[in-house]
Amino acid sequence: MSTTPAANRKAILVTPEVCIGCRGCQTACKSWNQLPGIPTKNRGSAQNPPDLESNTYNIIRYSELPSENNPVRWLFISRRCMHCDDAGCMKICPAPGALYKTREGAVAFDRDKCIGCRLCVAGCPFDVPRYDKNNKVMKCHLCYDRIAEGLEPACSKACPTGALRFGDRDKLIESARKAGHEKIYGEADLGGLGSIFAFKDAPKIYGYAEKPGIPESVVFWHTVLKPFAVVGLGGAVAAALLHYVIVGPHREEEVQ
Amino acid sequence: MAEMVRKAKTGEIVNHWVLAVSCILLIITGYAFLFQLKQIGALFGGFNAMKAVHNWAGVVFSLSLLATTYSYLSESLHLGPDDREWLRKGGGYLTRDKPVKIPPMGKLNTGQKLYYLAVLLGGIAIAVSGFVIWFWPDGRVIRIVSHLAHNLAFSLFIVAVPVHAYLGSLANPGTFRIMVYGTVPLEFARKKYPKWIEEMKRK
Amino acid sequence: MTNHWIDIRNADVILVMGSNPASNHPVSMKWILKAQERGAKLIVVDPRFTQTAAKADVFAAMRSGTDIPFLGGMIKYILDNNLYFKEYVAKYTNASFLVNPDYKGPGDLNGLFSGYDEKTRKYDKKTWSFQMDENGIPKKDPTLSDPHCVFQLLKKHYSRYNLDKVSNITGTPKEKLLEVYQLYASTGKPNKAGTELYAMGWTQHTVGTQNIRAMCIIQLLLGNMGMAGGGINALRGESNVQGSTDHGLLFNTLTGYLPTPAGPLADLKSYIEKYTPKTKDPKSVNWWANRGKYITSYLKAIYGSKAHNDNDFGYAWLPKLDEGMNASWLMLFDQMFKGKFEGFFAWGQNPACSGANSNKTRNALSKLKWMVNVNLFDNETGSFWKGPGMDPKDIQTEVFLLPCSSSVEKEGSISNSGRWAQWRYKAIGPISRSKPDSEIMNELYFRVKGLYQKQGGKYPDPILNLTWSYGEKGPDGKVKEINIHNVAKEINGYYLEDVYDKAATPPKLLGKKGELCATFAHLQADGATSCGNWIYCQSYTQKEGKVINMMARRGKADPTGLGMYPEWSWAWPVNRRIIYNRAAVDPQGNPWDPRRAVIKWDPDKEDPATKKPGMWVGDVPDGPAPPMASEKGKYPFIMMATGVGGIFGPGLVDGPFPEHYEALECPLEENVMSKQRINPTIKIFGEKEDAFYSCDVRYPFVATTYRVSEHWQTGVLTRHEPWQLELQPQQFVEMSEELAKEKGIRNGDKVIVTSGRGEIWAVAMVTNRFKPFKVADSTVHQIGLPWCFGWQYPVDGSGGDSSNLLTPTVGDANTMIPESKAFMVNVQKA
Repeated sequence: MSTTPAANRKAILVTPEVCIGCRGCQTACKSWNQLPGIPTKNRGSAQNPPDLESNTYNIIRYSELPSENNPVRWLFISRRCMHCDDAGCMKICPAPGALYKTREGAVAFDRDKCIGCRLCVAGCPFDVPRYDKNNKVMKCHLCYDRIAEGLEPACSKACPTGALRFGDRDKLIESARKAGHEKIYGEADLGGLGSIFAFKDAPKIYGYAEKPGIPESVVFWHTVLKPFAVVGLGGAVAAALLHYVIVGPHREEEVQ
Repeated sequence: MAEMVRKAKTGEIVNHWVLAVSCILLIITGYAFLFQLKQIGALFGGFNAMKAVHNWAGVVFSLSLLATTYSYLSESLHLGPDDREWLRKGGGYLTRDKPVKIPPMGKLNTGQKLYYLAVLLGGIAIAVSGFVIWFWPDGRVIRIVSHLAHNLAFSLFIVAVPVHAYLGSLANPGTFRIMVYGTVPLEFARKKYPKWIEEMKRK
Repeated sequence: MTNHWIDIRNADVILVMGSNPASNHPVSMKWILKAQERGAKLIVVDPRFTQTAAKADVFAAMRSGTDIPFLGGMIKYILDNNLYFKEYVAKYTNASFLVNPDYKGPGDLNGLFSGYDEKTRKYDKKTWSFQMDENGIPKKDPTLSDPHCVFQLLKKHYSRYNLDKVSNITGTPKEKLLEVYQLYASTGKPNKAGTELYAMGWTQHTVGTQNIRAMCIIQLLLGNMGMAGGGINALRGESNVQGSTDHGLLFNTLTGYLPTPAGPLADLKSYIEKYTPKTKDPKSVNWWANRGKYITSYLKAIYGSKAHNDNDFGYAWLPKLDEGMNASWLMLFDQMFKGKFEGFFAWGQNPACSGANSNKTRNALSKLKWMVNVNLFDNETGSFWKGPGMDPKDIQTEVFLLPCSSSVEKEGSISNSGRWAQWRYKAIGPISRSKPDSEIMNELYFRVKGLYQKQGGKYPDPILNLTWSYGEKGPDGKVKEINIHNVAKEINGYYLEDVYDKAATPPKLLGKKGELCATFAHLQADGATSCGNWIYCQSYTQKEGKVINMMARRGKADPTGLGMYPEWSWAWPVNRRIIYNRAAVDPQGNPWDPRRAVIKWDPDKEDPATKKPGMWVGDVPDGPAPPMASEKGKYPFIMMATGVGGIFGPGLVDGPFPEHYEALECPLEENVMSKQRINPTIKIFGEKEDAFYSCDVRYPFVATTYRVSEHWQTGVLTRHEPWQLELQPQQFVEMSEELAKEKGIRNGDKVIVTSGRGEIWAVAMVTNRFKPFKVADSTVHQIGLPWCFGWQYPVDGSGGDSSNLLTPTVGDANTMIPESKAFMVNVQKA
């Protein structure tokens, strides 16, 4: 049910074990997209800004876990838009063209078309979309402007170690398999993600849900309520018409 | 000219029209949002403008709905044995034997009362959830719940409103004029709302 | 680096100790991870679990300042378990050399080597010498069993570094030590290579040079020098630090590591005599025997036609160091603090934040009459007079800011840690009224020269006789615009006459007058060549009359498959990618590891230079001589007079073998190794601002400083930049959960860190990445702080101030690099 032909589809393969936490990706993203640096504070962690923001499309999460041999197991995990094939944000979005798929399978946005309803925030399984002070959606768009010209996204371009690798989705999956990753996170979830992860351990170790999904209410709405909106209205009008023809108008009895 | 009785005050007529128009506007724009109907959006000058129309129509609708409680709420809450009988007979709408025999009704018949209650409850749900979506940007769970509530209530409206319009017009010849003049012929009212006429006589 | 960045991928074991490449050299991690992909193991030894440690196969925590015991224990382990590379050690190192029988080590003399003079705090190195045979060649015992041979002395010296003692000093558990030793010693096999990556974590100690020496000994024992995937690799902290030291940045060197002449060396002859090492061993190349050619060509480059045989090539015009004079950083600022300077050029630096004991540095600046601050931005140095604790009314220093252009606003070369000089182009012109440094120097030069011409002055000759042919001259005689290619060509050098190889019959023409030199092997001592920096000779050369900027090359061929890319840019010397590469082959010229053949002797291939069969293939060899075992063969370590690697290193001031001494400020009353607590040869500064405190209850915790990926040095380039500031907004201090609990500090709390010299506030990062050490049977806590912040930017002061306000005024015994990696502090909740 993929909406982008697999041959076209591009992706970013994230390999947290190869990430060194240098955050060149964060700066490169801001530089290419001309997003402002924002005042932050050190809150006892290197992670900054603490989470995605309207002007921060990607961050590295610094995660410290217990370790057997070392004082700590320190993971650096890229957090970004997953560019789902079956994108919850697009599904729930009421404004045509505000969120859209590019030829390469990126979920991009058009600020002029965004109506600022923020439903995409609710529809996203990964809590990614953010709104700026003009109440317009902002998020990673896989540098659709670069990739359309045959360049790679700014973040992966800046990555010194290959923790972020951009390319044909099929080929990235294949290469991750060859590198010994049996399961690739996002390979099949949500119709296949555009940000795929080569995890060494269970996704939850890296702060990702085992089985990510669009909220059930949104699925119910999409599969039941939306069709009903057609059937229900049509049915009601048809029923009235039929009633008029078959039963006819009402006439009351005389009062006794 | 036949003797007329006033069933709706001018204010009520106006309010009903306000309610009806805002409701239809909301339904049309709602459909446009639901199915991303660009042509409808274009009628309003784009989706951003349409969103404003939808939101403000929602405000009007909500206030209007609030106003209806003055007129219809207490009547609608009075349900008695006649109402049960009325329901059992399907309000007489399901038979071709005319004239139909149904229990005597007051100012509002059972169907109208139940419709009103449904619209009131659905209206509250759709309004509250609408306002949450509009004004509460950060609560992810409450927004998801509101989105569902808004759409469930919408499902109710899109069925109930056409049926109501039909019953208030073609299905019951002579009733539509209430929406225009507020009055009906006494004879007509005697047949249609016998308990109401009696009540008025008692007064 | 003896090797280069890409070569890291060829290693089997990578020891990261004294550096944190993931944070400070992110690109190097590409090659480290590539090596790991191949199955290589990464060992990280650091007081703190760093971002690099996060990728390590083995991590060992070690108290700051205890690298020598850690490595000494490894040397003992290698020797005890016979894991050294026997043929390599016997033939390619001085292990077999016999040492003066009067030599005594710290085991005998309670922490001192023989020859110590307490009054001067110096060693008389008479006994640290080799025994010579009747031909003046060092006596050797190839069986390595003579009690006076280097090998046996090494064994004896490090027999004291047993696991218990080492663990008790370093705080590293014994099993961790063993794990590291075992893994690293596995590279002692001929077909295994181990590399070491260090940076300021090793140099910024009072025993900094000896830290590196200890590793050199290990690398020689394991036969890792010269190998692909081996070597000792200094990761430079700036992209062109390599280039600046190559070009004589330090006070004690001219370009190409020629020593700065000392005052008593009155003429060129005595200079050459003094600094030219001698050997009588015919198998030793002793490359520094060419010293005379290099200094003469250098003088010809800077004084041109004014330099000739009759005036000693202008040697007299060179600045001289007074005998025993040290003009290193700490000394300069000490003198400045004492009011000995009138003016100061702070050129591309920010001493108010980068200098150890910054309070003293900042106060020193206030004693100046004038200061010229050449930088991209104003900084804490230029604005020191309005900094914290300063009253502008009391400060008379006149400060001039000369805005200079950034590296992308000008053309030129940049030398990376791997010695690759890479040409870069201008991306945009200088912004606003900023100028490239060369233009600023051009202005300065002609103005100073003009003043000398007009007013005379004390000694105008060095200025008036300087060549300055860097571009077209205007009617006023001033160079209108610096052509940086002219500078590069002057560095490379010219044939000033037709130069012949006089050893050939008939003499063979090496280079035509006026052409650019082809190699430093052509440089002459008679003034027939000029060369601004002999190690850069060949960087901008001429082939068949055609001028070629070798540094601008971008060829991607990799004939060895080892990632040497000989056609990409140019590496000094003579495009050699791995130095000491003659040690990568056996005496017959066959690679120790055929799978990683850096060079290989091909006896059948005709050498185009000699037209005779037999030549090296692969990397540019360390000299063209045939393999060591052949008749005309040479020893591999051509820069050493002995021709072999120095396990015994009498050149340093503080001992021929590295010995453990505690940092000037340390948490221990006694050195576990000996009665000598601190390095006996370090200079102790005496101002009250230089105060230091060991085992003082007021400063109970060990501290170290470091950099972060997000800020550049003191942050002058990055603190102005909101994208970087957003990532690292504030001064922080990392500490263990245990220490935080003891001091009632929670993660994210604001704390005050104090030392004997200053105090700063910082945000507490409470983390398991630091753990308390079990040292000398007690618990020692360590903390760490970055030094990238300063009071001036961000303007609201939210960033905090430099952690160098805390660091002590003391330097390495050999280099005087300040000891900012181990000192004592206190931490308190703000």
